Amino acid sequence: MIFNSVVFVLFYIIVTALYFILPHKFRWGLLLAASCYFYMAFVPVYILILGFTIVVDYFAGIFIENTIDAKKRKQLLLCSLVANIGVLVFFKYYNFLNTNISILLNNFNARNPLPFLTILLPIGLSFHTFQAMSYTIEVYRGNQKAEKHFGIYSLYVMFYPQLVAGPIERPQNILHQMHENHEFDYANMVDGLKQMLWGFFKKLVVADRLSIYVNSIFDHAEVHNGSSIAIACLFFSAQIYCDFSGYSDIAIGSAKTMGFDLMTNFRRPYFAKSINEFWSRWHISLSTWFRDYLYFPLGGNRVPKLLVYRNFFIVFLISGVWHGANYTFIVWGALHAFFSIIGMIITPFTKDMHLKLHINKRITDVARQLFIVLLVTFAWIFFRATSMENAMTVIHNLKTFGQHPFLGDSVSNFGHCILAIALLFIIEYKKEYLPTKFNFFQHPNIFIRWGSIVSMIVAILIFGVFNGGQFIYFQF
Amino acid sequence: MTLFLKRLFLFIIVVVIIDQLVGFAMRQLYFNQHKGQFAQTTYSVDSANQDIIVFGSSRAVRHYSTTILSKAFGKSCYNVGRDGQMIPYYAALEDVIFNRKKPKLVILDINTWEFFVGSSKYEKLSILLPYCNKHPELIKYVETASPYERYKLYSAIYPFNSSLFIATNNKLFESKIASDENGYDPLNKTMDAATIEYTKKIVEQTKKESKMKQAKTDTLALSFYRQFLQKCVDANIPTYVVISPTIAPEIPNERKNKLLEITKSFPTITFLDYSCDSNYNDHFEKFADIFHLNKQGSEEFTKDLVNRIKL
Repeated sequence: MIFNSVVFVLFYIIVTALYFILPHKFRWGLLLAASCYFYMAFVPVYILILGFTIVVDYFAGIFIENTIDAKKRKQLLLCSLVANIGVLVFFKYYNFLNTNISILLNNFNARNPLPFLTILLPIGLSFHTFQAMSYTIEVYRGNQKAEKHFGIYSLYVMFYPQLVAGPIERPQNILHQMHENHEFDYANMVDGLKQMLWGFFKKLVVADRLSIYVNSIFDHAEVHNGSSIAIACLFFSAQIYCDFSGYSDIAIGSAKTMGFDLMTNFRRPYFAKSINEFWSRWHISLSTWFRDYLYFPLGGNRVPKLLVYRNFFIVFLISGVWHGANYTFIVWGALHAFFSIIGMIITPFTKDMHLKLHINKRITDVARQLFIVLLVTFAWIFFRATSMENAMTVIHNLKTFGQHPFLGDSVSNFGHCILAIALLFIIEYKKEYLPTKFNFFQHPNIFIRWGSIVSMIVAILIFGVFNGGQFIYFQF
Repeated sequence: MTLFLKRLFLFIIVVVIIDQLVGFAMRQLYFNQHKGQFAQTTYSVDSANQDIIVFGSSRAVRHYSTTILSKAFGKSCYNVGRDGQMIPYYAALEDVIFNRKKPKLVILDINTWEFFVGSSKYEKLSILLPYCNKHPELIKYVETASPYERYKLYSAIYPFNSSLFIATNNKLFESKIASDENGYDPLNKTMDAATIEYTKKIVEQTKKESKMKQAKTDTLALSFYRQFLQKCVDANIPTYVVISPTIAPEIPNERKNKLLEITKSFPTITFLDYSCDSNYNDHFEKFADIFHLNKQGSEEFTKDLVNRIKL
């Protein structure tokens, strides 16, 4: 079941209504059943995989808490991590690893005895695996009490709004909320619905509209000139942002209507002035996950400079691998690591550039922001490309920049794309730089407030793409 | 909660009113088009009743001169082809047109790539949404994209989704839009050297890719094809299924075999295949782009076709 479908809208209305109708003691059961139904709408049998990791982590958490011996606690944690990572590796990376083993053995004229599997990747596997892992790690660290209620723990992993594409929650933030009685709250309900509406706008009006042009270029990159490819790359930057942050908005909004506070996942990342700042604004739940469970344990910033760079490189590389079993994702991660490390090295020289150049700070800030957008956009080529060959074709053809761009199958669609990006930029700019002004959605005057909400609904009906399909991040 | 429900109810009423008002304005804009694709589609759905009807995609629109066909057979002719559309659209249009009046000759322009598995051919039927209220027989076709289309039609805006730009442009710059000849809209251009090079590149690429050969056949699309032919046979209408000229010879594929097999089961229907005709293959001067003949090419082709049609 995808968020941008009629089925989801019906599902959401029924589940939310029942949530407030039922007494508190039955609500976890309702949400768990609803989450199972939501997940099983994809590939029903894969619920067993989730069930397996849930059982392992539930008992691991309890055993870790009840064990005093440090060595045994560590072993229990390792068991849980191996089970989680094992499932992830098997379903997501098995064929990729197998291909590489075959290539390696071929060089020595040997045959790979391992068979290739025709398995479909369970939807959102990387997301709920990471969420499950954060639970056992936090219990091990003593930051979280083991959850004794099996149903509540299952709900922690399976909570439908964030089950398939995050935000990847920490147990400290969400588990206690699942025990609490959430009375109906007018402000939560209205704010949540507004956030969902904004998410739908980003997905239907911007992301899915841009994807029509982007797909037409990337699918036939070999025949398109640099101008078309450059436009497609920039469009993809906006597309993936709106696709993913749109999903997050719908997830956070739908949870909020039931009284749950999920963590913020995006803070207008394309206004970042450095790659590191970009990552503090983009997919925050994943960045902080890597920070807390990988970067800090590796030594974080409290080690010599060279080791800090090494840590950054490891984290970005693993982040790339997390996204998918393809070299394109590894290169994408490596590029971000490279940009980030270079950024750290040159920061002392570029810090007060406006003073050195005797120009307004706003000018250097805008230049930095544009530069970061270009760097990130370049890296997105690898993320979007279907293979390294495809990525190389895109980069090779970028050289012919300057020729007349292909405007797509219909000029009207291209016009819609430009309009969508312009609208997105205006709204995001307002949120970033004028957070207290023009808050039409929260305006005290009901005509302005309702007028702006109705306008957004009308804009979705007029300009939205209603057959855009899946969210990009579902595949991870 | 009561306050919320009260306000929600009021809000829904406001949304419905605004939807009806904006939808009404969009309906006026859409149905007051005199030129361009929307106007042509409206005529095809609401009024086309000529003796000869040409069905197909943009290749039908560009390839079949209604003037030549009309003169050759002494009958009225209309080309109901529509850019980007495929077999489900022709079947839908056939339903509406045949309900109004049975033509005396049907020409169906078809392409084998229309029979690839893919949802786009059904999603594109959304262009029929503005007509569903007047022609309820179209609903079953638009529902092939989603079973919820019927309910989405309660919105007055939704049927006109994504049409605002084109409709506004066509209204504002009506005088700049060339009139079609009863649905026939030839491309008055030839390919320049750069376009020819680009086209050759794509043709080579297509030959290399095995996608064309491997792609699975869409059985639902085949059933629409069968339904289309069956209706023509039931109405006793002479029917010609034509694969009009292509710039490169078509690679043999399973879909063409299936089409031939289905067509053979209707002995009164003639199948004409120009996809490997050396009079057109690699004759770049007869093409306007990789998919379409230009005016010169289309007139030559229509004359060729006239000689092969027996009425």
